[in-house]
Amino acid sequence: MKIKALISVVFAVVFIFSSSVNAFASEPYNPYSYDKWGDPIPSQSGYKVDRVVDGKQMGFDEFCDPKSKLFISLEESDSLNGAKDMFYLKGLEQLWIADSGNNRIICLDTKTNKVIGVYHSDGILNFSSPNGVFAKYDSENDITHLYVADYNNSRVCKCEVMDYKTLKSIKNYTKPNSELYNSKVFNPEKVLVDGADNVYTVVGSVTTGACVFSSDGEFMGFYGANRVEPSFKVVAQKFWRKIATQKALDTMQRSVPVEYKNFDIDKDGFIYTVTEAANTSTDAVKKVNAAGNNIWDNVYINRVTFGDYNQSSMDISSNVKLSTKLTDIDISDDQYINLLDYQTGRVFQYNQDCELIFIFGAKSESSNQKGSFKAPNALESVDEDIYILDGAKNDITIYTKTVFGKYVHSAVKLYEDGKYTESAEIWQEVVKRDGGYNLAYVGLGKACVYNGEYKQAMKYFKISQSRKNYDKAYEYYREQWLSEHFGIISAAIIILILLLILNAVIKNLGINLKGSIVRFFKNHKKS
Amino acid sequence: MYEFSEIGWLKHVIFHPVEGFEDLRWKKRGSLKFSVVIIFMLFFSMLAEYRLQGFQYNTHYTKIFNVVPLILRSVIFYITWCVGNWSICTLFDGEGTFKNICIYTSYALVPFIVFSFVSTFLSNILILDEAVWIEFFNWLGFGWSLILMVQAMRAVHQYSFGKTLVSMLATVGAMFILLFLLVLVLLLFQQVYNFIYTVYMEIQYRIMG
Repeated sequence: MKIKALISVVFAVVFIFSSSVNAFASEPYNPYSYDKWGDPIPSQSGYKVDRVVDGKQMGFDEFCDPKSKLFISLEESDSLNGAKDMFYLKGLEQLWIADSGNNRIICLDTKTNKVIGVYHSDGILNFSSPNGVFAKYDSENDITHLYVADYNNSRVCKCEVMDYKTLKSIKNYTKPNSELYNSKVFNPEKVLVDGADNVYTVVGSVTTGACVFSSDGEFMGFYGANRVEPSFKVVAQKFWRKIATQKALDTMQRSVPVEYKNFDIDKDGFIYTVTEAANTSTDAVKKVNAAGNNIWDNVYINRVTFGDYNQSSMDISSNVKLSTKLTDIDISDDQYINLLDYQTGRVFQYNQDCELIFIFGAKSESSNQKGSFKAPNALESVDEDIYILDGAKNDITIYTKTVFGKYVHSAVKLYEDGKYTESAEIWQEVVKRDGGYNLAYVGLGKACVYNGEYKQAMKYFKISQSRKNYDKAYEYYREQWLSEHFGIISAAIIILILLLILNAVIKNLGINLKGSIVRFFKNHKKS
Repeated sequence: MYEFSEIGWLKHVIFHPVEGFEDLRWKKRGSLKFSVVIIFMLFFSMLAEYRLQGFQYNTHYTKIFNVVPLILRSVIFYITWCVGNWSICTLFDGEGTFKNICIYTSYALVPFIVFSFVSTFLSNILILDEAVWIEFFNWLGFGWSLILMVQAMRAVHQYSFGKTLVSMLATVGAMFILLFLLVLVLLLFQQVYNFIYTVYMEIQYRIMG
């Protein structure tokens, strides 16, 4: 009996250890990438889940704690509720969250992820479902200005942050009294402010672009509207419009573009917009300059498909058809473009040349796996990390770079600065970890071209399927080859010319060389 | 006069586009074996273009290789052209026999095949900026073959120039109809096969219980 117990204990211990060895922290998503043909290929994960913080971990229970300085009331919710937007204020390391369901704005310290400020309805500034938030720090006067897209109150508030609980209202940007603005309602969803304190706001169901207000509250017009997607219906309508009578025209539906859902501003002042409507190919993602023109509006970039290539795919686990809905865009400090797909919960990261860097993140309706989302509403890059706000799970997921991700990012950085040789070493590390990472081969090839190893460069460009680069490398290689073999080639040409001349001379002299040789041999045989 | 070997006749018709095919017909020459070889070369030229083209020029989806479209584009199109042309032209006083149509058509295709090989070879040497040469050779081969084809059809059926053009356009139409019927027949046979298979399965289930 004792032996039996001992054996079972041993077995149990062995079992536990072996299973704990096998269990490794895997990402909640299958990392993949797209090759040059547009086929998905498995890849390494560039980001991993660092931690997930909910209201409790952020210290929201202080709101109901009378001893705390952040105390609001005993009934105050101690979690997020359908939060819609985030904004990272770089200089102060503050993350501002629009906690829409609780009608309040929350300020987090990103170093500790603890709440350091809460701005709730206090009688003067009653936020009602604030959908968007933006903050701007004025270092000269040491003032932080907070801009809130106050959805239900039909206004954008500009406030000054006084302390951790109070805001001073400075200005309200309300529905423009302009003939240009012909929508009945004014429901600002997202807000951003440029360097000259102009306020841009995306207003729900307004398709003519974002409303722009000057800093003193004057409506200045619309900014960066999408174009109409040239679908069959639109083209047919254009034709009918040509021949229809005025009466028929009046009853006709106008073809309007889809409005863009969200935007972000980079450090150079370019505004990037993203369109949420499913299966948009026209103006899905734009980089808009100060004049409101899409500077990616050229043939090359327009061929880039943002998000998944196959825009509607089946999710096997939940058996739902997923179609890409890009809901948020964020430009990181290193100028990477991060797109958040609401439907699939995936984040697509691109560099400034619109080359895909990483895809990460996942959505799961059923399980509450760490790092997967139910309603990913917003993403924000906070220094090196990426924060994703979930409006249904009411938490924030923090993705941080893996070793692979760090390698890729540093290589891309060097590559974009033109330091090809330095980047090549890191690209080698990338290739060791993921042999299918396309951009690495382009980088390696460019380094080889830079160092004059054209043959090797051609090999790399062939792997990465980049025809243009291959062509360039081949041009140099051919030049090199020709100059190296110039002696032999010129000698061959001279010999050929001499032979031709000799042939002509012999013909001119009337000597049938072939005949005489044949005759010679015949005679020789006879004798 | 005009006592050539078979290869000599091929050279003669290619370099004498005006009278070459008339001579060929008059001398009752031309070999079916040769035309079979030429059509195989047509297939190989397409294959070479697919696989051996210089990387900077090759825009084919090279991840998978499927030989069926190449066979369709060479052999099947050739056969349907011959059949279509024969069926059109026998109705409109054409004098060409089916064998002659096959031979003359393939002889006319030779420049196209040769220049296809040439441009495939050149694509391994030239860079993209020099693509005009490849285009030039492609068009040269195509144009030459087109002229030869018109002449071949004119000679084989003893048509006037205008009638030849009309008959060639009609042949293209006939090719479409032929291919359509072919697909239809294939689908029908598939249906029949499915039906028979289903009946067989049914019987099997009944017997086996």
